[in-house]
Amino acid sequence: MTADTLSAILVSGIVLGSGYALMASGLSLVWTTLGIFNFAHGVLMTLGAYVAWTVSDSAGLNLGLAAGIAVTVAALIGVGILIERVIVRPFYSNRDILLITVMTTLAAMIFLQKGIQLLWGARLKQLQPLVAGNVRILNTTISAQETLVIVVAPLLLGALWLFLSRTRIGRGIRAVGQNPDAARLIGINVSQLFIVTFALSAVLAGLTGVLLGSVRLLTPEFGSDPLVKALIIVIFGGLGSLAGTIAAAYLMGLVEAALTFFIGIYWTPSMIFLMLIIVLLVRPQGLLGKVVR
Amino acid sequence: MIAALLVPMVVHDTYIRHLFIIAFIYGVVAASWDVTLGYGGIFNFAHVSFFGIGVYATGLTAKLLGLDPWLAMLFGGVAASAAAVIVAVPVVRLQGVYVVLVTFAFSQLVLQLVISQSQVTGGTQGMVRVPTLWLPGYNFLRDYKFGYYYVALGLLVITTICLRWLVRSNFGLSIKALRDSEDYAVSRGIPIAWQRLKALVASAFFPGVAGGLYAVYLRVASPEIFDFSTSSLILSMVLVGGISSIYGPIVAAFLLTFLSEGLANINNFAEGRFMVVAAAMVIVLLFFPKGLASALPTHFAKKAAQRASTLAKPKGA
Repeated sequence: MTADTLSAILVSGIVLGSGYALMASGLSLVWTTLGIFNFAHGVLMTLGAYVAWTVSDSAGLNLGLAAGIAVTVAALIGVGILIERVIVRPFYSNRDILLITVMTTLAAMIFLQKGIQLLWGARLKQLQPLVAGNVRILNTTISAQETLVIVVAPLLLGALWLFLSRTRIGRGIRAVGQNPDAARLIGINVSQLFIVTFALSAVLAGLTGVLLGSVRLLTPEFGSDPLVKALIIVIFGGLGSLAGTIAAAYLMGLVEAALTFFIGIYWTPSMIFLMLIIVLLVRPQGLLGKVVR
Repeated sequence: MIAALLVPMVVHDTYIRHLFIIAFIYGVVAASWDVTLGYGGIFNFAHVSFFGIGVYATGLTAKLLGLDPWLAMLFGGVAASAAAVIVAVPVVRLQGVYVVLVTFAFSQLVLQLVISQSQVTGGTQGMVRVPTLWLPGYNFLRDYKFGYYYVALGLLVITTICLRWLVRSNFGLSIKALRDSEDYAVSRGIPIAWQRLKALVASAFFPGVAGGLYAVYLRVASPEIFDFSTSSLILSMVLVGGISSIYGPIVAAFLLTFLSEGLANINNFAEGRFMVVAAAMVIVLLFFPKGLASALPTHFAKKAAQRASTLAKPKGA
């Protein structure tokens, strides 16, 4: 293996990892705070990319990408709140909330995905890149848009971390995640924070969609693969640990890039699943997770 | 049951017969899913991929290896059970959401594998011209789906009998015990991992065979089977029918197959029908968390209680 292939693997692994980190952190945030798994997370990413496309593209409203991003953020706050209100909130007191919300968010995913297909059609679309041209990093040429993904992902994750650790709302969210009953006792409005968490996670998914929408082609199934990868990452990283999730996301990106290089794109998915099984057999709580029962 | 035997005599429309066949096949998948999901309490979301594995295993062996389609169908069941062993290895040791995640990841990765091995499986295009079933001197293709109707019905009946027997056996009782009170069941000496493994492997066999029938009946194997919409359609059959009842999912399979096919005939609504099914699923979960079947037994129970009380009264009193 030459230095060039090593750097190629590193760079493409970091691009993949950045996207995964954004997706998985939103998923992990909702899981930690509400104790549910949002299977509609992937389709929220798709929705974000399509909304941004409609507002910004010349075939759509042609208002420019800034407007596209702004509308996307607004739309996803709305959809996030709607999902929380309609299909998650009614089951809070239910003993089987985990299983039921798996089903309802799965239903929401089908609903949104088929809705996107009806509204926008099955034809492929692509967002305008935010930045044009190519960049050379470590002797590897990638598009400037991919570089932007590498740079923006840590910034967004850093902002998320600052929000969760420094602001009153963010600390409230973490308190609810640790113990909702105690949080309620000290006067935190738990149900309000649930909504904020859901909206925040939806916006993260939507922004991931906008970032990746110009790197890949948009289809109604755009978010399915990142969702599955994010699920695997959340298991790898250990449930309930944001740092573990992000570390696992980058690790996964690098492993995927390396596997794709060495054994080809055909066998990579099965190898990743095999690794998942092995990790779970040795450490059922994930690579970095703590034992939760 | 007798009515089901007579349907093809009355219904001569091949499309309606087709709907019955599809409903029988979905009924097998939904009812067997109930063994792990409802009776076992295992959050198994890989069940539809067992069906898909049956489709592809049968399609590949019948088409590429020239295996007799009847045997290839059985092989579909065996292949699905073998896949269930692979899923079971991590699943039996995990709990709750981990089980959901691993089984979901498994089904998506099977899909990825099918798409990526396009030189064998036809990739996203799928595999066409799978050999059909045959009997000496009888042509399954030229009988307006008469033969397939009875094969599918036979499969559903055999599956139902096997599943009833399974959930009422000591084994069935032990997985219910594990679901209801894991610690107590384990303390009474029920081997949790072993029982869960057996439940997964046994319940995977039926959708595998059903997948095989699906492949030789439609003569195609396409990766759409692994799609989330197939999963949610069949999952909604289990939920609407009511979990922990073998018959509920079968009845719901009929209702939803005819409903979703009926909606598909409305112009440009082929995709929209899945939206309706998804919305129906949420509504049922909101108002009948235990499925529509749960609304019925209370009614029957009341009737039975009334009858019991009238019988209990001494005559002439």
